[in-house]
Amino acid sequence: MGAAIAGLGMTEMGKVYGRSARRLAADAVRLAAADAGLALDDLDGLLISHGMGGSPGIELADVLGLRDLRLLTVMNAFGATAGAMIATAAMAVASGSASAVACVFADAPLRPKVSSGAAYDSTPREFRGYGGMTAAQGFRSVNALYALAAQRHMAVYGTTSEQLGAVAVSTREWATRNPLAQMREPITLADHQASRWVVEPLHLLDCCLVSNGAVAVIVTGADRAADLAQPPVHVLGWGQGHPGNRYERGSDFGLTTGATLSGPAALKMAGLTVGDVQMCQLYDCYTITTLLTLEDYGFCAKGEGGEFVASGALGPGGALPTNTGGGQLSGYYMWGMTPVSEAIIQARGQAGERQVARNEVILVSGNGGILDHHSTLILSPAQAATTGR
Amino acid sequence: MTKPQPTVRRDGRSDAFFDAAARGELAIRRCADCAAWHAPETTGCHVCGGASLEWTAASGDAVLITWAKVHPRGDGPAQHIAFVELAEGPWLHAALDGVDSPAAGLALKAAFVGPEDGEPLLVFRTA
Repeated sequence: MGAAIAGLGMTEMGKVYGRSARRLAADAVRLAAADAGLALDDLDGLLISHGMGGSPGIELADVLGLRDLRLLTVMNAFGATAGAMIATAAMAVASGSASAVACVFADAPLRPKVSSGAAYDSTPREFRGYGGMTAAQGFRSVNALYALAAQRHMAVYGTTSEQLGAVAVSTREWATRNPLAQMREPITLADHQASRWVVEPLHLLDCCLVSNGAVAVIVTGADRAADLAQPPVHVLGWGQGHPGNRYERGSDFGLTTGATLSGPAALKMAGLTVGDVQMCQLYDCYTITTLLTLEDYGFCAKGEGGEFVASGALGPGGALPTNTGGGQLSGYYMWGMTPVSEAIIQARGQAGERQVARNEVILVSGNGGILDHHSTLILSPAQAATTGR
Repeated sequence: MTKPQPTVRRDGRSDAFFDAAARGELAIRRCADCAAWHAPETTGCHVCGGASLEWTAASGDAVLITWAKVHPRGDGPAQHIAFVELAEGPWLHAALDGVDSPAAGLALKAAFVGPEDGEPLLVFRTA
């Protein structure tokens, strides 16, 4: 039996204070169930993903008062988790081991009067050992490692900061049309170039937001979803790719990602090819992540991502509308639930002024670690998508 | 190096690295079973599956793979960080010292700078 996403719940996101990650997660599950037209008692599965804070765990089931669950666990593949959770829920539904599975992500790293950068910073008071020595010298943040990745792509393929800026600009253009987006003022390439260095070659506008909040979805059988409150969003295919990057001679760090494994697997399961994809919702922790992911899925040749993203293809009216809610760069940073949530909204036809007309084949990506972990979903309003692009 | 050096203390797991550094040697890990070279933080050999890695002096010769410039929030100079590829094969998380025009493939040499307090710091300079 095919699986479908029947409910979507999103709390307020951004500088949302006064609620713990656990409370936000519970609120999102309640919202998702209500959205689907289900009662909490109808749920028999709960999959949980947390941010770096480590909460919530499986106690969330008790917080929600859920009883007699047949599937309950925390999943963690970093930024690839949302796709992995939905795939796991779909398999549970297909096997009959559960019939209505809530998948939730929640995080609350922001605190009042503390910068977004500090939310994920890890500067210790003392530096100890070999690892401490590298941290002392500047290896202190994920930003630094993605900057090294971007610089390698630049050195090998000639990718430019302006091309990365094109990703920031097109993504923001979409965000101006999304009432849920945190950053809705239009930006220009000049704004991107003038924004401060986070770690050179990454400008501030190459980097995602940091948000408090939670997003949940409900996965059920496709037949049941058809009778519920919202238009079903069918899960046609899924895949994961964990290439196991080794930092040694021959490494392709910064050049390729697990999308090369994950994308073809998901498309094959759906009976589709990359040419059938009409819209992308990609994990865009940095502009370089969007560019690399598009290359690795095969929307352009390896090394030509810079030209592709600068062509106008990704923005409103472009050939491959991408991150139509503003992504993580300009929308909201709910890890892998950012692209998942926008894909659901688009597949349902509920995206208002940013709605993309051709929404039958939507590719959703997740990316975790330093380009170490990848997941893919193929979502569609149709139970079997056969359309060409 | 023009900015104040951070203080690094030993952690009991990488003391051999700092003992070698005090002698001006770059010590990395080498598999006792198959002789494959590994970075200092490696704990097992992915080539042969061996679990016995020995601290061994490397040549200190390297080439630049990729780099980034860390700009301080306040005053002070920016610092280049990098992945460098040792002649022996492993990549190291590295700080560059005095490399004004980084380029992929640039030949580098390991060096140590000794702050007044704490352990020596590994840097790479143009060869």
